[in-house]
Amino acid sequence: MKRALLLALIGAFSLLSGLVRAERVVSELSTDLIEITSSYAGERVNFFGNIEPDTGSSEPLQGTYNVVIVVTGPLTDRVARQMTRQAGIWLNTDQVVFENFPSFFHVLASDELLDITNPATLAVENILPEAQPEVSTEAGWWKSSVFGRELVRLMTQKGFFGLHENAVQFLSNTAYTARLTLPADAPPGPYLASTYVFLDGKVVARRAEGLAVRKTGFERFLAISATQQPFLYGVACVILALFTGWLGGVIFKR
Amino acid sequence: MQIYLPIAELSVNLFFLIGIGGAVGFLSGLFGVGGGFLLTPLLIFSGVPAPVAVASVTGQVVASSTSGALSHYRRGGIDMHLAMYLVLSGIVGAFGGVATFSMLREAGQLDLFIALGFLILLGSVGTMMMVESLRAILKRRSGVVVRERLPHQHNWFHGLPLRVRFKKSRLYVSVLPVLVIGVIIGFLGSLLGVGGGFIMVPALVYLLRVPGSVVIGTSLLQVVAMMGATTILHAVQSQSVDILLAFCLMVGGVAGAQFGASANKYLRGEQLRALLALLVLAVAIRFGLSLVLPPADPFSMAVLSSGGL
Repeated sequence: MKRALLLALIGAFSLLSGLVRAERVVSELSTDLIEITSSYAGERVNFFGNIEPDTGSSEPLQGTYNVVIVVTGPLTDRVARQMTRQAGIWLNTDQVVFENFPSFFHVLASDELLDITNPATLAVENILPEAQPEVSTEAGWWKSSVFGRELVRLMTQKGFFGLHENAVQFLSNTAYTARLTLPADAPPGPYLASTYVFLDGKVVARRAEGLAVRKTGFERFLAISATQQPFLYGVACVILALFTGWLGGVIFKR
Repeated sequence: MQIYLPIAELSVNLFFLIGIGGAVGFLSGLFGVGGGFLLTPLLIFSGVPAPVAVASVTGQVVASSTSGALSHYRRGGIDMHLAMYLVLSGIVGAFGGVATFSMLREAGQLDLFIALGFLILLGSVGTMMMVESLRAILKRRSGVVVRERLPHQHNWFHGLPLRVRFKKSRLYVSVLPVLVIGVIIGFLGSLLGVGGGFIMVPALVYLLRVPGSVVIGTSLLQVVAMMGATTILHAVQSQSVDILLAFCLMVGGVAGAQFGASANKYLRGEQLRALLALLVLAVAIRFGLSLVLPPADPFSMAVLSSGGL
């Protein structure tokens, strides 16, 4: 209850500060569509942006700004499983399902996160990777937090989650740039790049941009066929196999 | 050169895929087996998700068995009547196998059952083959004439009802053991992504006393038909057949098998079987160790909903 009150106060303060000074951020991604082709092996995305006085606000910008960019991937249901030893054999004995869990979550910041703002603000703005697993009502609070932590660790090991402090570079007092490499196995789907501008620990401007990662051309055709025409897709696989086998026999005169 | 696999959703080196396809194809040509039992584990150990590995290798097994089945068909080395019974019961078994596959995948126990299945299957088949081939090698060394058992000796199940005459195999046996063999192989084949030739051939030879002239051809035809049906079932049920992955493996496998078949001439039967037994046992031990040794990471994760476009 106290915490909620605190959060509400912080929210109110950030709103107030927004009234006194008005900034906005204009930003652009180097690409808003990443196409997965047969030779796809990851792609780099560049972020550019500038902090400007908001329309109608004539006050010049001053102070040291900080920028945090959060790139979130498509939400899926993910399960974390634990192996234990039962009768000499290691097997999965426990699991927690996390619904609407981001399959990609990278945070780029212009400074150490704790130097930019306080943990409470980071939590409110949903900037922290470790806060992504929602509590599963089925598993309960404690198990959710234990398994959620492990899930975040696994995602980090795979390169799907990450925190890159000092990865946003300021070119001037207000213009910034950053870049992030999407790994080759980054899941396809809609991505969201949310930009937060901090001044004295408070969010003074924010902006969100969409980014799509999708299979294209032949890969897209295959993936669509596999999910929407599974029977025909299976038949096509078998015909391909029979043909390849027959052709091999003919070529090598077996 | 990296190639993106659309269903597995990962990027793999093309030459690596064709290479393992070729290496396994070489061994399968050398030993006259389908090679699924080597390929599925290799893919799993190299990072392809187990469901995709099993389902895609099913397609590869169809390709690698097709040219053999065709050449046996031309030579008249297939008992169509017997094959029909085996295929129909095999497809029934495959339905059960694919349903079990999906169930285990949802419960998070698929990897465990694949490991257990390979361990038990390959462990027992490998041990039997090893014992049998070592005995043959020793007997040959000591100069004893090995007397093959006669094909018309009777087993207990020759008394079972529903007897059917298989003209080409010169057999008059109950269809029940035939159907049971078909169902078991269909079930295991679809669950583990193996053609089951290495179980089918001994079963036909030792249990049903099918003559050697038709046993390989009949088994190959059964593998082609049953694994073809299993591929479609996997495509419909688990949607984890990666056609690009399967195709890369097929190309390597079909080419490798030809070289293996020519290398086959330089080795004697018992030696071949002893080598194959070693290989089978090695894969079984690898799976056994993965079950018994503490995992590098006790935690793992999986996506429940299907992939995006």
